[in-house]
Amino acid sequence: MRFNRWMALCGLLVALFLLPGCTTEAAPESTPTPVTEATATPQSEVGEVPGATPTAPSEAETEPEGPSGEETEHVYRIGIAADLTTTNHWAYLGPDGTVWNGYVLAESKPSLYGYSAQRNDWIPSLAVDFPTPLKEEVVDGETLWTTEVELIEGVKWSDGNDVTAEDFAFTASTAAEMELTGNWPSIVDPDYFDYAETDGPYHLKIFFKQKPGLARWQFGLAFMPIFSKSYWEPVVTEARQAGDIIEQQKVLFSHVPEGEPSAGGFIFGQWERGAFAEKDRNPDYSFSGSEVALYANGAYSTSTLGLNEFTAYGEPSGEAVLEYVEGPFAASTIYSIYGSQDAAVLALKKGDIDFMLNPVGLSKGLQEQLAGEGGLTTIENASDGVRYLGFNFRRAPLDNRAFRQAVATLIDKEFLVDTVLQGVAIPIYTMVPEGNGAWYNSDVPLIGKGMTRQERVGRAVELLKEAGFTWETEPRVSEDGNFIEQPGEGLTMPNGEPVPAMGLFAPSAGYDPLRSTFAIWIERWLNEVGIPLRANLTGFNVIVEKVFDQQDFDMWILGWGLTPFPDYLESFFHSRHSALEGYNAGGYNNPDFDRLADGLLSETDLEAARQQVFEMQAFLAEDLPYVVLFDTPIVETYRSERIEYPYTDTWGGLQSVAGMPSLVDFR
Amino acid sequence: MVLTLFLIITLTFFLVEAQPGDYASFYVLNPDLPPEVKDQIRAAFGLDRPVWQQYLIHLKNTVTGNLGVSFGNYPRPVIDVLAERVPRTLVLFLTATAVSFYIGFFLGKAIAWRRGGLFEYATTISGAVLFTAFTPAFALMMIWVFAFKLGWFPVGKFLDPLVWRGADVSANYVFGNMLLSAGAFIVFALLVMLLLKRFGRAVPSVVALPIVLGGAAVIVAAWAISGIGGLALDIVKHMVLPVATLTLISFAGTMLLTRNSMLETIREDYVMAARAKGLPDKQVRDRHAARNAMLPVVTSLVYSLIFAIDGSVIIESVFSWPGTGLTLLQAVRSEDLPLVMGAILFIGVLSLLAHVVVDVLYVYLDPRIRYQ
Repeated sequence: MRFNRWMALCGLLVALFLLPGCTTEAAPESTPTPVTEATATPQSEVGEVPGATPTAPSEAETEPEGPSGEETEHVYRIGIAADLTTTNHWAYLGPDGTVWNGYVLAESKPSLYGYSAQRNDWIPSLAVDFPTPLKEEVVDGETLWTTEVELIEGVKWSDGNDVTAEDFAFTASTAAEMELTGNWPSIVDPDYFDYAETDGPYHLKIFFKQKPGLARWQFGLAFMPIFSKSYWEPVVTEARQAGDIIEQQKVLFSHVPEGEPSAGGFIFGQWERGAFAEKDRNPDYSFSGSEVALYANGAYSTSTLGLNEFTAYGEPSGEAVLEYVEGPFAASTIYSIYGSQDAAVLALKKGDIDFMLNPVGLSKGLQEQLAGEGGLTTIENASDGVRYLGFNFRRAPLDNRAFRQAVATLIDKEFLVDTVLQGVAIPIYTMVPEGNGAWYNSDVPLIGKGMTRQERVGRAVELLKEAGFTWETEPRVSEDGNFIEQPGEGLTMPNGEPVPAMGLFAPSAGYDPLRSTFAIWIERWLNEVGIPLRANLTGFNVIVEKVFDQQDFDMWILGWGLTPFPDYLESFFHSRHSALEGYNAGGYNNPDFDRLADGLLSETDLEAARQQVFEMQAFLAEDLPYVVLFDTPIVETYRSERIEYPYTDTWGGLQSVAGMPSLVDFR
Repeated sequence: MVLTLFLIITLTFFLVEAQPGDYASFYVLNPDLPPEVKDQIRAAFGLDRPVWQQYLIHLKNTVTGNLGVSFGNYPRPVIDVLAERVPRTLVLFLTATAVSFYIGFFLGKAIAWRRGGLFEYATTISGAVLFTAFTPAFALMMIWVFAFKLGWFPVGKFLDPLVWRGADVSANYVFGNMLLSAGAFIVFALLVMLLLKRFGRAVPSVVALPIVLGGAAVIVAAWAISGIGGLALDIVKHMVLPVATLTLISFAGTMLLTRNSMLETIREDYVMAARAKGLPDKQVRDRHAARNAMLPVVTSLVYSLIFAIDGSVIIESVFSWPGTGLTLLQAVRSEDLPLVMGAILFIGVLSLLAHVVVDVLYVYLDPRIRYQ
């Protein structure tokens, strides 16, 4: 064969890919489906019905503007930076618990209770009111704790069935009996949940094996997403017939839901792997048009016409700090999948998407790219996380409280954040960030805050001396207080032994420049007073293995994402979690704190729990198992010329509420 | 070949295994999970066994053709994940490889033939500059200029959700058909050329091109009436920018290889003899010099085609094109061992096959080569 024929072949091959594009559509499935007007009234019907005749590219869909110049339908276009791994909600809360799955699958399942907007008050969702107080009962000779919940009548699944107490009982018993893993045990804790009993379709009685505190009941089981029994029961029955429990779970997790009913604002429609997912408006969404109000006096009220009226936390009077009406106002929400944040930002600039979801918000560079772009609005919220410095209490002198306080005093968070990091982070002092208003204690000791360099060194030396530490050569600050004239040398512990050389694990600059900067400065400040510390900047997985799996470390810097209910204080600092792979990796062991943590776990009263959390924060801020360092605000940008949110001030940013698909409205 | 494959599997397994932590470490970061649940998760993934046992299981799975279940897409089989990603990568990278090879070979041939001219300097310098460009920056610049500023092409991705909403078929179905069409066309074109060769001078060679084009027209017509032509067009529209980027970055490799090979060939006596016979310049260049110069170029092409399956992590990330390269990277980062092993095995087998194909091609292209 002659070579030029090879050339021709290659050329034609390319042409073959290109030529189909020059043709016009002629197949039946290309017939455009008429798209009816979607107004801002949530109850109105729209043409885009799940499972309706498939549509190929049509004028009405590709062009948002109709002939009259008005938008024919509102599509809320969100960018995400990774693909889903499942559309099966059991699997999402199990082994496929990615944040991206969460964004897309959010809001399709009802729960008995939830958080209020902005303030994170604990409020009924599917329940009519708060549950009855827990009481002890003897059932078949066994002592159990019970509570009862009344469900709102008339809340519908999108297949027309009622959402009932049976659905709740089915979901909880499936999770417990099939021993579902992943996040399930933190929702349905088998050590606490025994069974749920229904008395009619809307009355639920829940039995616990032991008295559940707020974390297990109000902020655990009560938040459980409820699955449709009529849809899932056959799947679960089939799964239960598979071999061992792992096989059973596999069958359940591998089911691909098709036509699964939703009780949220949207119904899952389509998933084109690697490209996009789409949710269509649920025309039968029961809470459409609900009016929600939060008042300055702390009161919360919601009213759903014909379904339920609810008020709590005081009488609604005075100024309403937030009022909104539940949608959805979009005919559908499309989640476009991008391979990188840069690509998603360009799409946002170009107008291809309205908002991009990202658990860490926009980086500084991307913020600058978007600055000054017309039609976009950038917002900043406190994030739901902390970055901290942890100590290994198994090694001296890290088990010495004065030593830890001296370290905390030496760390000038404000200097680092304001001067070195140019204000991209926020210094913090407690394990409950300020953004979590309901649980934040503003009255904790702020060790080192506002001190000059000279004062810091002076105070650290004083603390160490009081605790019995001695130097061969004491550190001395220059007269102007700007630098260390004489670094400390030969630091000795109270037992007479020299302070050993220590290591500080921290993420490298490639992973997190903020934490690595902190680590380098901490090393410098501690060395200046004679504490021999070396920062070891390394990979995230290495730190996790060294700290949590092997507990072979001195100090480390990492971060936690936090939940609104701060029961994590118990997980991080109770001595029972200090074994290998436990979350109390530092081995912090203080019986006084353990008592407080145990009290929080068994507490059932919200106000009493709040007081306990306040006390725990104050305790930790002085005892310092962690020196809480800083947090970064979540910066997000949305296309304000096209969409508007009822509110944008929210802890964790709009990403923490999955971009509010049921509330977003269109201009 | 079997030994090489065994080494590939073994090396890959232990390299991935050597990374700190494992897939279940992901769950360390959920403080609400009791340690026994984490153990259950490890057991479900088989990570509670000693490393040597895990290795033997992977080896056995590989031999029996069972690549296992992807941890990151649990409980989806690895083969499913690969079957989904491979066609996307193939369509993009085969097209880009074919285009860049075509342009590179054409230019290489031309600049070798007309040495010393402005055209050679301009082409070589620009080719070398593009060849050494920092790929992520160059790709982003292409997007910025052609997609964002000029608005000619989409900003990444392989399809437009607004076009595909409610589509009756999946993107993979369209990708599959695109590959099928290309395959059918190649077979048809080869058949036409073989038949023409068989009938020799009885059929004028000028007939070949219209017949081949006619075949292409039939395939295009089939697309037009299939009802999914618009969807294919959307994919093609999204391919233009990544293909252009890949071509600009890589054509210089083929061009310089062809040029060097041609420069050696045109010094041969038989080329001088062809000129002395008074053959037209084009004929001497294309039939006498270029054909003999193409051996190393074809070798390079075959390997490029095979490694096209591997995709390019950078191009796939920047253009949001979810193919095998991106999948492999994500699998390595999350220590999704079965998926890494599956992807590497797939690429390993194909690259070994490529060596066989190259050996066979050599015999066809150069009659002097004969294997004993």
